[in-house]
Amino acid sequence: MKNRKRILIGKIGLDGHDNGIRIISKWLADSGFEVIYLGLYNTTEGIVRATIEENPDLIGCSFLGGGHLHYCKKLLDLLRQHDLEDKKLIVGGVIPPDDVTELKSMGVSAIFTTGTMRDPIIQKIKELVEA
Amino acid sequence: MKALEKIEYDRYLKGEKLPHFRSLSGIELKEFYTHDDSLQDLPNPGVFPFTRGIYKDMYRGRLWTRRPQSGFGLPAESNQRILYLLSKGMTGLNIDFDVATKLGLDPDHPLAEGETGLQGTSVATLEDMDILFKGIPLDKVSTTLIVNAPYSAIIMAMYLLLAHKRQIEISSLIGTNMNCAITQLVGPTFQSGTHFFPVEPAIKIACDVMEYCINNIPRWNIININSRNIRETGVNAIQEIAFAFSLALDYVRSLLARGLEIDHFAPRIAFFSCIHIDFLEEIAKLRAMRRIWAHLMKDTFGAKNPRSCWLKIAIQTSSLPLTAQQPLNNIVRATIQTLAAILGGSQSIHTTSYDEGYSLPTEESHVLGIRTQQIIAYETGVCRTADPLGGSYAIEKLTSEIEERALALMEIIEKKGGFLECFKSGWIESQINEARYEYARQLESGELIQIGINMEREEDEEFKINIFRHSSDMQEKRIQYIRAFKQHRNATNVNKTLKKLYLQVKENPYGNWFPAIIDAVDQEATIGEISDTLRQAHNFTVHY
Repeated sequence: MKNRKRILIGKIGLDGHDNGIRIISKWLADSGFEVIYLGLYNTTEGIVRATIEENPDLIGCSFLGGGHLHYCKKLLDLLRQHDLEDKKLIVGGVIPPDDVTELKSMGVSAIFTTGTMRDPIIQKIKELVEA
Repeated sequence: MKALEKIEYDRYLKGEKLPHFRSLSGIELKEFYTHDDSLQDLPNPGVFPFTRGIYKDMYRGRLWTRRPQSGFGLPAESNQRILYLLSKGMTGLNIDFDVATKLGLDPDHPLAEGETGLQGTSVATLEDMDILFKGIPLDKVSTTLIVNAPYSAIIMAMYLLLAHKRQIEISSLIGTNMNCAITQLVGPTFQSGTHFFPVEPAIKIACDVMEYCINNIPRWNIININSRNIRETGVNAIQEIAFAFSLALDYVRSLLARGLEIDHFAPRIAFFSCIHIDFLEEIAKLRAMRRIWAHLMKDTFGAKNPRSCWLKIAIQTSSLPLTAQQPLNNIVRATIQTLAAILGGSQSIHTTSYDEGYSLPTEESHVLGIRTQQIIAYETGVCRTADPLGGSYAIEKLTSEIEERALALMEIIEKKGGFLECFKSGWIESQINEARYEYARQLESGELIQIGINMEREEDEEFKINIFRHSSDMQEKRIQYIRAFKQHRNATNVNKTLKKLYLQVKENPYGNWFPAIIDAVDQEATIGEISDTLRQAHNFTVHY
């Protein structure tokens, strides 16, 4: 397949709950995306390094343990410092409603909380990478 | 509110039907069950193989322990929550530590930076443990320490030293150390079991702690095989049993290889299981688990003490069926799950809170879990007789079917060299992932229904829910604390004790390292320093 859109998927920090990234990676691969699977225990610096090396169309990170605000802010700052602000960040996981608003205002392009079905996720991601 | 034109009158007149009649584990249920389906020989509760319960009188003799997990933020904050829950009807402690603690990292480690106190409480020193248990008489409560090996050795050492400091005989302590190297973090996923410590030394250290506890703390449960976390990865009930028991057999063989007698340690092995939403299957699962375990201990390992054959099960109701959408529905789900845990004959229960899809429980939702259990215990009458569902054609048939399927899978694992080999080869990982994809596929296809998710979903749902919030300065406070702590202790003693531990590991690979770990904690070495020493002794580096 030519010109497959590439998506980097990983978790940042010490939380090891990986149901979400495993399932989303499968859905993305089944939908024709190329998934660069970084798995667990990434640092924000590591995500930026991988972004430079792999040049993905989108970065997706998942959170369950409550570290989302801290890590997303740090990651977005680091991306800006490396002139990578064009790389859109999407987030999935256990995110309280107020934090969804805060993540959006921080610059996260889309947030998929638990219980979001496959089709709306894939559709939104397609919109983001085509935009 | 639904628009009027969307009301499906047709559906109501025709009558609603289920999408299929399969259990969550794929067992096809029959239209009805009869006498011919059920097991002919069904020994009474309290009689081998304990299918109907480990005690003759079950909850007439004593109720299960109401043991909700708790732990967040600073040790002092957790202490307040624990005391609050004790005042509200919690009857056993279940202390959760944050992920940094569970990975042997001090709060000032770069990787702990955004993590301290989030999913449990932060404990790095003996002093922290003292604060966590302030005002709690260690000899009057039973305590579960939720921490994985090898770090379970350090937390256990703190608990023993704290008892010593308070002049409590360690032989009088009652409780459980989770102590599993593979399942305790987030189930047996490969990366979580291998990234921060080499797996075999971790198991060795778990066995060191077990051996010490068997010989010194007669009423302490030496390990809790965490089948709940296995299940929460997305596998089914059959896989949950087979994975958990195959792993348990690896531990049993390790302890036997040390020359310990089966009847000396088997009564102190405990299990922590899950209750998913499939009511009949989950009740049957607990009954099948008891029967399989009893036979394993007696037939395979020659146990003679009936207690060696007892499968003691702690339960936390599964989080997987709970939804962030329409969160009040979770109260109903958790109640049904809790009832299944009780009808299945479990020994302690944590009813998962309805706000699980958002955060740690608030005080209010935590207490609601306790009240749920009390309502079932005191109002519904289900505890008035042991194993009230025993002899039900459907339950007995399901129990036998689950038993057969789990034994068949255990045999496959055994042929592949046992659980640990299957874990290391990545086979377990691939089984887990396939199960996750299948679970997600069934939700997408509507074969599996979750109200609020793929049925009766409300787009742009508006609701009010109180959500737990951490104190904003806890991480900074912990960093300051640990730095100050390291400055104010006797550094020479710390270095000496860590050196001693290092040499013990290097020079005495088959010896028991736990006493050296106890010494290190006693000399005020931190959890991070002790863990790093153990890593260095195995030439292991955490990559980040």
